Amino acid sequence: MSVLRDQSMNRSHSFANVLRAASVLLLLLAMRAPSLAAQGLDPSALLQKQATDTWPTYNGDYSGKRYSPLDQINAGNVNQLTLAWIYRTRGQAIKASSLEVNGILYFTVPDNVYAIDARFGLPIWHFERKVTGDHIGHRGVAMLKDKLYFETSDAHLLCLNAKDGKLLWDVQLADAKLGYFATMAPLVIGNHIIAGVSGDSTDIRGILTSVDPDTGAVQWHWYTEPDPGQPGSETWPDTDALLHGGGMTWMTGTYDPELNLLYWGTGNPNPVLVGDRRLGDNLYTCSIVALNPDTGKLQWAFQPSPHDLHDWDAVQTPILFDADYKGKKRKLLAQASRNGFYFLLDRTTGEHLATSEFIDQTWANGVDKKGRPIAKPEATPTADGALVEPGSDGATNWMAPSFDPQTGLFYVMARRIISVFYRTVEGQVEGWGGRDRNLYMDSTLRALDYKTGKVVWNHELGEGEDTAGILTTAGHLLFVADHLNNLLALDPATGSTLWHLNVGDHVVAGPTTYQLAGRQYLLVPVGDTMYAFSLPEKTEAKK
Amino acid sequence: MKETSTSKLLVALLVGISLLTAIVATAAARRPQDQQKPATAAAPAAAQNGPAPLKKQRRPAPPENEEAARGQTQYTASCAFCHGADGTGARGPDLLRSPVVAHDVKGNMIGDVVHNGRPDKGMPALPLTDAQIADIAAYLHWRIAEGLSSSEVPNGYPAEKLLTGNAQAGKAFFEGEGGCTKCHSATGDLANVSGKYSAIDLEAQMLYPEGNFKTAKITTKSGEVVEGKLNHLDEFTVSVTDANGWFHAFARNEVKVEVTDKLAAHRALLDKLTQTQMHDLYAYVHTLETEGQHQ
Repeated sequence: MSVLRDQSMNRSHSFANVLRAASVLLLLLAMRAPSLAAQGLDPSALLQKQATDTWPTYNGDYSGKRYSPLDQINAGNVNQLTLAWIYRTRGQAIKASSLEVNGILYFTVPDNVYAIDARFGLPIWHFERKVTGDHIGHRGVAMLKDKLYFETSDAHLLCLNAKDGKLLWDVQLADAKLGYFATMAPLVIGNHIIAGVSGDSTDIRGILTSVDPDTGAVQWHWYTEPDPGQPGSETWPDTDALLHGGGMTWMTGTYDPELNLLYWGTGNPNPVLVGDRRLGDNLYTCSIVALNPDTGKLQWAFQPSPHDLHDWDAVQTPILFDADYKGKKRKLLAQASRNGFYFLLDRTTGEHLATSEFIDQTWANGVDKKGRPIAKPEATPTADGALVEPGSDGATNWMAPSFDPQTGLFYVMARRIISVFYRTVEGQVEGWGGRDRNLYMDSTLRALDYKTGKVVWNHELGEGEDTAGILTTAGHLLFVADHLNNLLALDPATGSTLWHLNVGDHVVAGPTTYQLAGRQYLLVPVGDTMYAFSLPEKTEAKK
Repeated sequence: MKETSTSKLLVALLVGISLLTAIVATAAARRPQDQQKPATAAAPAAAQNGPAPLKKQRRPAPPENEEAARGQTQYTASCAFCHGADGTGARGPDLLRSPVVAHDVKGNMIGDVVHNGRPDKGMPALPLTDAQIADIAAYLHWRIAEGLSSSEVPNGYPAEKLLTGNAQAGKAFFEGEGGCTKCHSATGDLANVSGKYSAIDLEAQMLYPEGNFKTAKITTKSGEVVEGKLNHLDEFTVSVTDANGWFHAFARNEVKVEVTDKLAAHRALLDKLTQTQMHDLYAYVHTLETEGQHQ
């Protein structure tokens, strides 16, 4: 462990290039001490070809793989994993992915941002701003230089000083009175802070907004529903339906710096369970869209659920990876979508490559020539109830999937949810117009062949709706949690269990990892408490 | 996208907090006086940009809140011609999706529009009093709250809506293909089952009953056997409560576990049941009640 990487390496572009050229091994051997100088996030750190020993964005890097090259904790020693520290917020359950930048963790629950020391779990600052609006959960912050970006339950975007948590500015993203709120971690691309919004209890229009990192001034808006008369508007019956068509931008997207394309999954159309007023495909709801991050212009789109009637948004992380497809190396994008189908696309052109069921489903019969599942009419919610799998909570949902380049497998938290969908409102429906009632739920972790989406292995996780995210690492490990409060380390090639711990509550966020002062940490939020695991100190003392 | 029903309720409460307070705050106890009144304004010219009149629109059931109930009457007389019988728009725009209505408190924003009209969009000024406008506002806010709460199936969901199946066919399925009589009897355990649950709960109970119906037989390496209600079963641990009420837990690798799930047949049926079979079966199960005991 002779290579000392501190943040000065991040600060220099030439050094960044050297790092890119360096082998993964070099990165893995790197020992990063918390810096005593400036503690901000250099933009070049976001452009690393792959994740490093930090966790500077919601997904760890732009690709959304949630694969870490760290391997100090590995399949050979994971059974020695022990607690490094515990930090209690005494607040709402943590659903966020914490950033780790220069030895500081930044994470959130609704109305709250926490900064704590990443080595010792010591508090640094806590920001709180109580607002009205939906407090369903919060996914985290974004960082650029010495600023943090935090979205609020009343659909504002706040900029905080990363040093002390002081509010620098506050801009409104959307009108909370109309039903908008926000839960997501923004995405930083160059000089753009890209922020989505939430809310499908009322019939509102999905918006993605790019703002200036220093001032909060709007750079562009992209609306899920195109303007009247624009391409895609023909998939709506009229302007009123179009402008109230839903399609929230709930979750953080991914980005390919080489193509300069931003990928975003969009939410379900509104009214949610009743489609009478919105006959047509309802573009670009329930879609994966590719946008130019400098202009917000649409490059291409693919729609996993045309004319959705079941709340199956397509906001699940569109994961980016470069890999072989039919003998050719392709720039690929894969999503395991809430409707129970896996989709593989060429991310340069949006060309559809594969569609496959990753879990039991009863709503679709076959795939159309664009690669989209074809809904069965009998799955439409009715007054007397329609038995459908999956239920509205989805075959998967916001919990992070992962792609492991070592195994070439795509991992998804998959659920069997059997529900009866009732349309409860007659006449002109606004909002939901009905709801499903869950009858049976169980959960399973599934490893998919990225080329076909076929299930390679399956690891049952118990009855109930598991909402844990997934992390894979170069240590040949996959971290996840079952629905019976066990944190699990699995062999990503086979799914067999290597280590577990009863952590006493459901894990409702994704595990993440980072390395500091020569020690790799596994960070797992459990309920309102942050747990950091590492190998025992004596392992480190051998050096 | 939704995580819990409570949070959905929260959004209804929080997003519409001003709306809801407007509804619940006032409500003076007097009978609506103006039910027989004719429209107070002549039908205005059609708006140019509104959506076409929609077929399924109809006047919703009256609100329980008196102010909103008065407002509905007033609305029907003065506004429905253009904005639709239910407020969702006709020649004029949908008022339930209107930002003006969303920001309105007790008519303070709606009032301006009503008093001054929107001549550019074909809406005339209407000679309504502030009290009448406040009632209309209460009605519109009530309608919006109704939309916000439409993401729940109410427990009082009417049986008539669920009774679309053929009870005779349901009985045949119950006794034949469904295999229900392997465990159940219409005159035994299921006698009066329909009277025990609300209509909507009965359907869920019929398809997959709530509760823990699993038992386990655990055999240790030395041959000891513990049997009881299964509390917990994961990859690593199993626990049961025995017939005497005592708790026992074991590591899975120490014991042999045999689980009996009384709901296994229900689970298997969920994968096979067609919509028609479900509705027929429900129509039959709904008949299983002792006279006079149905809720």
